[in-house]
Amino acid sequence: MIKNILLSVSGSAETIVAAKYAICLSRLLQANLIAVFVIDTKVLSELLKTRIFVEAEARSYEQDLEQQGGMILERIKKMAESKQVPCETSLLRGAISDEVIRTAHELPADILVLGELREIASRAETFIDEGERIFRKSPCPVIISKNPAMVEALYKEIA
Amino acid sequence: MLRVTDFLRPEFCIMDLKADNKEQAIKELTQVLESSGKIKDKNDFVKHVMERERLGSTGIGNRVAIPHAPTQSVDGIVVAFGRSRGGLDFQSLDGQEVNLIFLIGTTPDDLAVYLKLLASLSRLLTNRQFREEFMMAGSSQDLFGILRKFEHD
Repeated sequence: MIKNILLSVSGSAETIVAAKYAICLSRLLQANLIAVFVIDTKVLSELLKTRIFVEAEARSYEQDLEQQGGMILERIKKMAESKQVPCETSLLRGAISDEVIRTAHELPADILVLGELREIASRAETFIDEGERIFRKSPCPVIISKNPAMVEALYKEIA
Repeated sequence: MLRVTDFLRPEFCIMDLKADNKEQAIKELTQVLESSGKIKDKNDFVKHVMERERLGSTGIGNRVAIPHAPTQSVDGIVVAFGRSRGGLDFQSLDGQEVNLIFLIGTTPDDLAVYLKLLASLSRLLTNRQFREEFMMAGSSQDLFGILRKFEHD
């Protein structure tokens, strides 16, 4: 039985499509929807370490990301509730792929929904790209949402 | 992982900066970005980048600087590159003059993408061979060839 659907969001156009698809799936399967946004503190640390950022700047970006993540999760929660789908949200900190995979293990998630992955240019990139890492390390089946028009039609179909 | 070549264009590259100081270099690079149509307010953008420089130099060492700022005066993410043959004083932490300058701006809405782009650029620039080839490139097309080669490695 599919009980928990985990949605990883970043706020890009692709993840909003993924959110709509996850809402449809949750409704059709009567499953719990859990949306997570990860504040990428790993990249902030990396930019501090390489001295591209100064401390005050990194802190300010972290606060901005926290605010953006909160807004995106709130938007998805409202979208879900408008379709009678209860949605839990979680704002996490760390490396995006590590946090999403950890959450998938902890729930445990039965399905993980992601936005469309970007094109990979090289084999090396498959080990660095966060979406790729989540896709490869996920402990449960992963659905990559595609075809925004199809998803939109399905989303509208659900009253 | 984001690629620098997704954002930088040959027309936003200056192979020989005329500037002889940091602010002039940032203004010269902003000027070439104007043709992108993504600079809404050139003076405001330069002001934000210079304000960021006052927090601490973006001269990160190894003759590289990455002046940057999030600001509403740009539309999306903009990237320009300039090479100074003679070197510019960026008050870099290693005390060396800067030859390779990447100017990056973003709207606050694109922050997550901007951070990933900066991280990708930073990883490229830790590669000594990349820096040396970039320094020796003859044209902006050559620069792109080098960027693609290292990004696809």
